[in-house]
This record gives sequence, structure tokens and C-alpha cells, in this order.
Amino acid sequence: MRKTYLLGSLLLFSTTFSLLMEQGCKNKTNQQSGISQGSFEFKEKLSDYGFFKGKLASLNPVDGIFHYELSTPLFTDYAIKDRFIVLPAGKSIKYTEEGALDFPDSSIIIKNFAYTNAAHEKVMIETRLLVKDPKDKKWKVMNYLWNKEQTEAVKHITGARIPITLLDETGKKYFTNYQVPNTNDCKRCHIKDGTLIPIGPKARNLNFTLTGQAVNQLSQWVAKGKLSGLPELSKVHQLPVWTDKKHYSLEQRARAYLDVNCAHCHTKGGDAYNTGLFLDYQETNADHLGMRKAPVSAGGGAGGMDYDVVPGVPEQSILLYRMNSTEPGTAMPELARTIIHKEGVELIKEWIRSLPKQK
Amino acid sequence: MKQSITTALLLLLIIGILSSCTTKTDQKTYTTVLSFKPGEEAKIAEAFLSLKDSTSILLKAGNYKFDNLSIAQVNHILIQGEGHDKTVLDFSSQTQGGEGIRVTDVKGFTIDGMTIRDSKGDLLKINKSVNVTVTNLHAVWSKADSTSGGYAIYPVLCKNVLIENCYTEGSSDAGIYVGQTDSAIVRKCKAAKNVAGCEIENTSNAEVYDNEFYNNTAGFLIFDLPDLSKRGGHVKVYNNNIHDNNFRNFAKAGSFGTTWGVGNASPGSGIIILAASDIEINNNKIINNNTSSITIASGFAVDEKAGEKINANYSPIPKNIRIHDNTIAMGPAFPKPAYEHRIGQLLVATEAQLNKLEPTRKNKRIPWIMYDGITSNILTKGTALNPDSICINQPGDNVFVNADFLNIAKPENWKPNTNISPYQCK
Repeated sequence: MRKTYLLGSLLLFSTTFSLLMEQGCKNKTNQQSGISQGSFEFKEKLSDYGFFKGKLASLNPVDGIFHYELSTPLFTDYAIKDRFIVLPAGKSIKYTEEGALDFPDSSIIIKNFAYTNAAHEKVMIETRLLVKDPKDKKWKVMNYLWNKEQTEAVKHITGARIPITLLDETGKKYFTNYQVPNTNDCKRCHIKDGTLIPIGPKARNLNFTLTGQAVNQLSQWVAKGKLSGLPELSKVHQLPVWTDKKHYSLEQRARAYLDVNCAHCHTKGGDAYNTGLFLDYQETNADHLGMRKAPVSAGGGAGGMDYDVVPGVPEQSILLYRMNSTEPGTAMPELARTIIHKEGVELIKEWIRSLPKQK
Repeated sequence: MKQSITTALLLLLIIGILSSCTTKTDQKTYTTVLSFKPGEEAKIAEAFLSLKDSTSILLKAGNYKFDNLSIAQVNHILIQGEGHDKTVLDFSSQTQGGEGIRVTDVKGFTIDGMTIRDSKGDLLKINKSVNVTVTNLHAVWSKADSTSGGYAIYPVLCKNVLIENCYTEGSSDAGIYVGQTDSAIVRKCKAAKNVAGCEIENTSNAEVYDNEFYNNTAGFLIFDLPDLSKRGGHVKVYNNNIHDNNFRNFAKAGSFGTTWGVGNASPGSGIIILAASDIEINNNKIINNNTSSITIASGFAVDEKAGEKINANYSPIPKNIRIHDNTIAMGPAFPKPAYEHRIGQLLVATEAQLNKLEPTRKNKRIPWIMYDGITSNILTKGTALNPDSICINQPGDNVFVNADFLNIAKPENWKPNTNISPYQCK
């Protein structure tokens, strides 16, 4: 009798204690990131997180949330992308030489997608979140779809096709069915060796000075206490800016473009591991880079051609053919692109043409 | 005594229960059981995306229309239909992505009892998964031409794959394709009107038996390609009926030009072994494949740079090939499409050259088993007659030709010959 009583009160005490603890953590982190320690659940609406102050669509981040850019970004139908990082209070990102930086638990990476409509207005389409769950230390993905009124974005897992008319940077008009990826599509690009990881925020792709600013982006992060362990900048790899002809060679720009647009899948352990075509910036093996390499499983996507890349002959290179298509089964990347990136195609065409012809 | 009888009875009972559990995919072993009917496509797509471990999904009889479906990073999943003639999933409205159904990183995946049809890319791709069963599945394209997608049933980079009681038709690549996988069984399947009926590529420890591959461009292929994640080999092929594979090659990729891949397969091919090793082919019926019943070819036959690509995962020279006790017969002439096809033309020329060199053959057909004759001697500068242990024990006459492909470009030196004695199994 007595024992039972004891046990009961012990149980009661521990439950109350853990509840209190959890509540405490919730209160603490809610202000910052919206993650409760111990388990993570995605919220229903983007506004529930409190990332932004004022009008949601202005994407004006609250203190502690910071904006970042990539030297060479992924092409997504001429979408305008805004990227932010949310760190738990007092924590910083650890520098890593290769791959994505080492984010602390409960970090959130926010990527917002918008387009410029025919009236030259910025229209929000979707917001993607990558969250590092403190419970299992694994990254999780979720999508939020903006409403027509542009006042809110709501959790959305099934993907969507949204008919839009957009303008590219030069003001050229496109009509397309913009593809919002479903959560498995997100995973496909973000999985390497069975683990979901961030793709963009690698030191080498953040290591540059943004237009109009005086200080390198990574150095700014260190100054703000957001990044630790950064070596001397001269020792940090730098991914070329694909549009910067002044500082980088054609080869460097093309390889950077392929790295960002293709290598999240076309890498060992990535979604296209089976193809043997690896397009990472560091790859040096000519076969893996597709030089006179026959496709493995391209099927009709090969367009009747023999090799991924025929040096000197872009019009016979499957890689270019697939970049230059919007047909499912042929178009590369397979996801999140419904428009041909003509500037990207032009760059890769020029690069293949510049490669020495071989027998 | 009585006790031992009771024990025996109990044991029998347990065995009975155990075996009844393993005979069919059993929905009772899944913790979440979902069921859908036609018209609920949106719900189904959502269910696939939010799957929890150990879920079975029943798709009731009827026609379903999907853009695409995907499953990623969950374990112990069953997708169950009510039979290939009842549950039909149509992907003809696909607007994005490379395949109809895409499965990635799943441990314990079974798909059973339905038809999937008409996707833009592959029909069912299963990537990097373990313990995969594809059973009673029909995977078909309505049109067998280059507009059809690549592979119908396509496990790749997997471990422990079973494909059984399936039917594939219309693939512009292979109907059943097992790639870069360890341990696979393909049995009791049928494949027709594909470029390749079935292909085992860079896959090790595979068994292919009790299948019927017919009316394809090529019935059955075992390939190893360079620059991939693993080497294939150790493949057993028996009790299959591989017949009448004389269909035109409608692969979009290079019917007339490409060096690699099935676009290279000549119409009229029964079995092709390319650059693969440790293979046994026995007790198959290989009938009316009118260009070549069995082809053994090296990587050099299709790629002059194959030698530069040798590494732990790739050897261009096939070795340890055992061919015995098959029933083989060929029709009276090459199928028409062979005359229009690059490799086909080489084989037509081989038959003519052989009959020119050996007038006693009295215009016989090209022999059943065609060996390209490119051996490891070209790497070792050796002179052994059969350095790569090709062993053939097939009754009958006109069984074998060494096609001497090394010299095919120089007609005066080109000497295909039918001397089988170095290759007789000892």
C-alpha cells in the first residue's frame, strides 16, 4: 500500500516535472524559433512561427533571424528567392570545409519563392522550411503555400501546379505551370547516403561579398557571432559566381553552375548515384564528368545521342539536350523546373564548345 | 512416447502457421492499414507522402489517374491492388519527374496485384531500397515505340529484390531492369514488345528462372557497364523460355549509332552477355531468336576505350561463362529489322563471311552462340585459346562461332570460325 503510494507520487512528480520543463523550454524557444525542445512538429501556418514582423509578405525578419545569399544559386523558373537562417538563442553554426555547414539543433533554414508578375509585382508562391529536429538531430522538410491575398502561407505536403505568368530578369514574359514540390520531391534532392541534408549553405557557396556590401558574407556572420571556427578567408574554398565573367573563367563558371544545379543528385550517394555521372565542382574524373560517357539509364531522355558530353560538340551532348528540354522524362533537373534556363543553357553550351575535341 | 507425438503435432502446427503466414503478403502484419477506391487519387497521393513505418495501402478495383506517386524514407510498406486486371493506375497525364511511381530508401517494400501504365519516364523505379518484392504487377505502355518510357520495373542500387509473376510490355529500354543491385530473383515473369525483355546490369548474385521473354528486340541481357557503383556477376539463368525475340529496336537512344545500352542490341537476339562474368545459362528454351541465340561480347565490342575503364568495378572481358543443356533453335533467316541495325548488319555479314570461308557449311545460318572473340589475351598479350574460361556443352551441330570482331574492319583478315573445341566444357 505504502509502496504503491510512493511510486504513484514519484510518477506524478516526474510527469509534472517534465511537463514543467517542456513548458519552460517552449516559452524560451517560442520567441526565437518556435521549436520546443524534445520533439518538433511543423506548424500549420507560416505566421505561427513568428519569423517575420509587420506584413508577412514583406519578409522582414525579427531580430536574430538573418538573410543570406549564395554565390551561385539553383535555377527555379526565374523565381526570386529569399533565404534566411534561424538559430536558437546563443548558438552558432560551426564551419565545415566540405558540404553544408554544421548547424546547431533546432536551426531552421527558410527559403521563400516568389516571381515577378506581368505588372512587375513580386508575388509569393511558396516557402520551404528545413528544420533540424533536436530530438533525433535529423533535418526535416515542409512546404508552405501562399494564399492569393498574399497574407499567409499554409502547410502543404502534396505539391501543386500553379499557372502563372512571370517575367525574367530581362522582362521577357513566360506562361507556365509552376511546380511546387511535394515533401518527397524535397527529400529526393536533399537526401545523400540516406540522410537529409541542406544543400545551399556550404562555406564555398557563401564565401563571397554581396553586391553593394563591403565585407565578405562569412566574415559578417563571424562578427555577429553566428559562425564559429572560420579559418582565414584565403583558406576557404570559393565557388565561382556563375555570372561573373570578370573574375572567373568559362570553365569555372560552368562547373559552378553544374555543381549547384545538378550535383545535389549527381553525386556519389545522391539521387542519381546510379548514373555514374557526377558533377560536383571538385570532380576531376573525365568519365564521371560525362566526357564521352554513355548514359546508363537515360532511355528516351538521351534523345538518340551517344554521350553525356561530347567535348567540342554541344549539339551532340545529352547533358545540354536535357537542360534544354521541359518534357517530363527528358528535362533535367527532373523537378522544380518547367522553363528552360536560357542563360544557363548558353553557358553550358559555350563551355562544351570550348572543350578540346577528342576522337 | 505420447509426449513426443504431442511435440511432433505441435511442431507441425507451428510449421503450418508459419508457412501460411509467408505464402502471401499479409496485411495483418502492418500496423497502419489504409484502403482507397478510384476517385480518391488526391487522398492517395497525400497518403503516400505522409506514410508512417509499417503501413499497407489497399487500392480497390478500378481505374486511377495519377501524375506521379512517391514514397521515401519509410520502412515496411505494402502497396496492394486487387489484381492486375482490376486495379489499374494510369500515369499518362504525368507532367513532371522521371517516373510514375518512385520509391527511395525504403526497407521492406512490397507492391502486389495491379497494373501500372503509360508514364513519361520509367513506370516503377525503386532506388536504394532493401528487401523489395514486386509481385503480380503488370507494367505496360500502350504503344511500343520510342515515346514509351525507359524501364517498366526498375529496382536500382537495392539489396534483396524479388520480382515474380509480373508482366511488362512496351519499354523503350528494358521491361524488367535490375541495376547495381546485390541479390535479386526474377521468376515466373513475362515480357513482350520491349527493346529488352529483362536486363540484369552491374548486379551480383542474381537468379533468373521460369520466365518467358518473347517478341522483344532482345530477350534477356546481362551487362556490366563501366564507371558504376558496383560490379555484377554470379548470375544463374535457367528454365526460361526465351523465344521469338525479333522485334525492331525502337530505343530512342541510338538504334543506329550508340555504343552502349540496349539501343545497341540487334533485333533477333535471345540472350546477350556483355562484359559480365561468372554466369551459368542452362536448361533454357531459346527458340526462334533469329539473329543470335546467345551472344557473348566484351566491352571492346562496343567501346574501343573499354580498356581505360578497367577498375575493381569493371572488367570489359567476360569470363567464367557456362552454357549447357539448353534447347536452342533458330529460324531460317535474319529478322528484317536486323538488316537495318548497326550490330545486326555485322551479324548478317558474319554469317556471309563464315559461309564464304567454309564452303562446306552449305549456306547454313549463323551458329547459335556468337562469341566476339575478344579475350583477355589483348590485355596480357597472351596466346591461350580460351583464357577466360568460356565453357559450352550444347548438343547439336552449328553451335558456335568465334566472330573475330577484332578484325572485322579488315575484310581480308577477318576470319570468323566455328571451332568449338577450345570451348568445350571439361
